[in-house]
Amino acid sequence: MANLPQLTEEDIQKLDAMLCEFITSTDASAALVIDEAGFLITHQGDTSGFDLTSIGALASGAFMASQAIANLVNEKNFNCIYQQGENFSLFVTNVDEYCMLIVIFKATTGLGVVKYYAATAVKLIARQLKISRKRAPGEGIDLSTLKATDTQHIFRKKELGEKKRR
Amino acid sequence: MAIINQATKELQVKVVYYGPAMGGKTTNLVQVHDHVQTAAGDKGKLVSLATSSERTLFFDFLPVEAMTIRGFKTKFQLYTVPGQVIYNTTRQLVLRGVDGIVFVADSQYEKMPENVESFQNLIDNLNSIKFNLHDIPYVLQYNKRDLPNVAPIEYMEFLLNNREVQVPSFTSTAHRCEGVFETLNMITRLLLHKFINQGVPQRA
Repeated sequence: MANLPQLTEEDIQKLDAMLCEFITSTDASAALVIDEAGFLITHQGDTSGFDLTSIGALASGAFMASQAIANLVNEKNFNCIYQQGENFSLFVTNVDEYCMLIVIFKATTGLGVVKYYAATAVKLIARQLKISRKRAPGEGIDLSTLKATDTQHIFRKKELGEKKRR
Repeated sequence: MAIINQATKELQVKVVYYGPAMGGKTTNLVQVHDHVQTAAGDKGKLVSLATSSERTLFFDFLPVEAMTIRGFKTKFQLYTVPGQVIYNTTRQLVLRGVDGIVFVADSQYEKMPENVESFQNLIDNLNSIKFNLHDIPYVLQYNKRDLPNVAPIEYMEFLLNNREVQVPSFTSTAHRCEGVFETLNMITRLLLHKFINQGVPQRA
């Protein structure tokens, strides 16, 4: 379970500040930090038009697939991937062994600018993650009040009539 | 592994549907997507990376939100793996960061060798990413019970659930949504109980 640091709200605030500065420098639309499972850790920028949950899952999969390809061509890893679009482009780069930085930026923005500032940003993010990793783990959420009976029907099946009404 | 995000008050959990090709993994997710009625009424978009013949190429992905526990929203991310043997590397990728597993077995007699092979493949792939099946909550689902040539449950239990500690197993006919929610609720229950007993590390 030591694959991710114990991040507090203060850590998140610092990460958000780093992402904000990165976005200001690059004019990127959005920047996300995700983990290897595809979970979204934090994000900044204008994300109103994006499904961040799906983007995190897909980008994580695509990035890890590229790493698997790297191994097949005797490369230690490909530390970034770039997808060019007509309106938006996507840049994903390694932060550390378990986390990635995703940048969504307008196609008119140069990739070089994004890569240049991303190199600095990932170092700062990685440093913050390292600091939090050294910190003693905090207490987890207390789930003890959850009764066994409460979990029997967490997901309910919609009744046929109800489905038709919708 | 599961994440608790203190900033957004969310608990995020990853569940992977594993099993042999054409066993009904994607059908499970489609049925959950079509029929789920969550407490918050929130379900995400079902993302399928499939071939033109609707065989899973990379994975299917469905985010669903469940109950709120002490102010924390519980978000489950459901994945399937491609069942075809050639996509083993892809299966290893999808397993990374997994919290719980649903093994979907095909009940047809002639599919028993594939079920056993796929289950062993699951163990091997977990080992390759330094996970152990015994440390991960999982349930078994014996699917396609509506077909005429199905093996008896006892035989499937002998093949797939013949261990010191047996795990919960369910019969299902996924395309009719029978047994789908029972399976999902059980893996959810096992995961939450694991977190209650062990505690979830505070990640964010």
